[in-house]
Amino acid sequence: MAEYVLRPLRAEELSQMEALLAREGLRRDGRLDHSCGIFEGDTLIATGSCAGNTLRCLAVDGSHRGGGLLNQLVQHLIQVQYRRGNYHIFLYTKPQNAPLFEDLGFAEIARAGDSTVFMENRRTGFSDYLSRLREESAALEPLSGPTGALVMNANPFTLGHQYLVQEAAAGCGALHLFVVSEDASLFPARVRRELVRAGTAHLKNVVLHQTDSYLISQATFPAYFLPDSDAATAAQARLDGAVFARMAEALGISVRYLGEEPFSPVTHIYNQLLSQTLPPSGIQCRILPRKAASSGEVISASAVREALSRGDWARVETLVPPSTMAFLRSEEGGRIIASLSSHGGGRPL
Amino acid sequence: MEIKHAAAAGTLESSDIMVTVLPETEGIRISLTSSVEQYYGDSIRETMTKVLEELEVKNAHIEAVDHGALDCTIRARLTTAVRRACREEEAL
Repeated sequence: MAEYVLRPLRAEELSQMEALLAREGLRRDGRLDHSCGIFEGDTLIATGSCAGNTLRCLAVDGSHRGGGLLNQLVQHLIQVQYRRGNYHIFLYTKPQNAPLFEDLGFAEIARAGDSTVFMENRRTGFSDYLSRLREESAALEPLSGPTGALVMNANPFTLGHQYLVQEAAAGCGALHLFVVSEDASLFPARVRRELVRAGTAHLKNVVLHQTDSYLISQATFPAYFLPDSDAATAAQARLDGAVFARMAEALGISVRYLGEEPFSPVTHIYNQLLSQTLPPSGIQCRILPRKAASSGEVISASAVREALSRGDWARVETLVPPSTMAFLRSEEGGRIIASLSSHGGGRPL
Repeated sequence: MEIKHAAAAGTLESSDIMVTVLPETEGIRISLTSSVEQYYGDSIRETMTKVLEELEVKNAHIEAVDHGALDCTIRARLTTAVRRACREEEAL
């Protein structure tokens, strides 16, 4: 029997890995943070990688299929993830390979057309998440009108976000407001959620949810956090739309509101793609224009971060509601602002 | 025993079972993926339920991926994963 060795890849072996991926019609992802390979002698015959809480770039050479190499690879990568404390793991694959991963304990979350299946290592992960969304919505008092949804990062929550929520809420009977859970922004998820809650508490037909890893996360939409090619961004947006369509189905959502995005190309592509992919699932897309500050300039979270980094409090006050202002003035707010100069600032929305 | 954090035992190799134990707020939940589900699915779940009872685990979420493990293997892997999940320090 041939001698197979599974081990982490060395930098000089990346070209072998790229060649193997290319034979399977895959390209090497730029965000990989662990890559391993199975070697037969000096020849790489299988490879797989991790990026954040996802498994990526998995390929087994055509002449070595059916020998359990994929199991070994996935086994190794799961252990790497578990050691990192990531017990909830995601991957994308082509539809024809999905059954192989089902056999390894992965379950389908959603699929984008015939190109990509998005999977997780919990059989009931997504259905549990949908049940939680329904439970959170139980106390909602809907008015008459359609059920809508809005997704925001709110980094931090501005008068612009408040305007979007108010406009959306006025146009529907009930509004499901999703705050991005991924902790990849200047303001931590817990703070962003709390500021959204405080700034929308006066709207009785609005219910707050978290996106977990299912929407605009490092797993579904890495381009949101780190720039990628337009084609990759579009593919991710399509998948994000497919996941959202399943959530919409569970909650009876028929309208998705999107904030107009004049500055960020990523958000612009995202809005465009959702406007194409959601209507066939029975979900209308409405793009709301941004609110302008008294100066005439559009209000954005990036403008707030920019003003904060210059210590321009007079300007910050024209951009955020009193609830956000109070937080920014707090001790915890001060610590976050202090990290701004070294941090950069993250994305808008 | 009380599940304090996630822990795992076992592999995805043939004749083995990979068991991941996760904290759960209420009750026992077993998710099983098995290559022999049709014939042995219920018996595997029954074995796992018994092991959890013996270890006095009241609340746990078990994700198990089975590739034809023997009953004794299932017991060993689950017991190991539960013990690891109950330790104070985090361990794989």
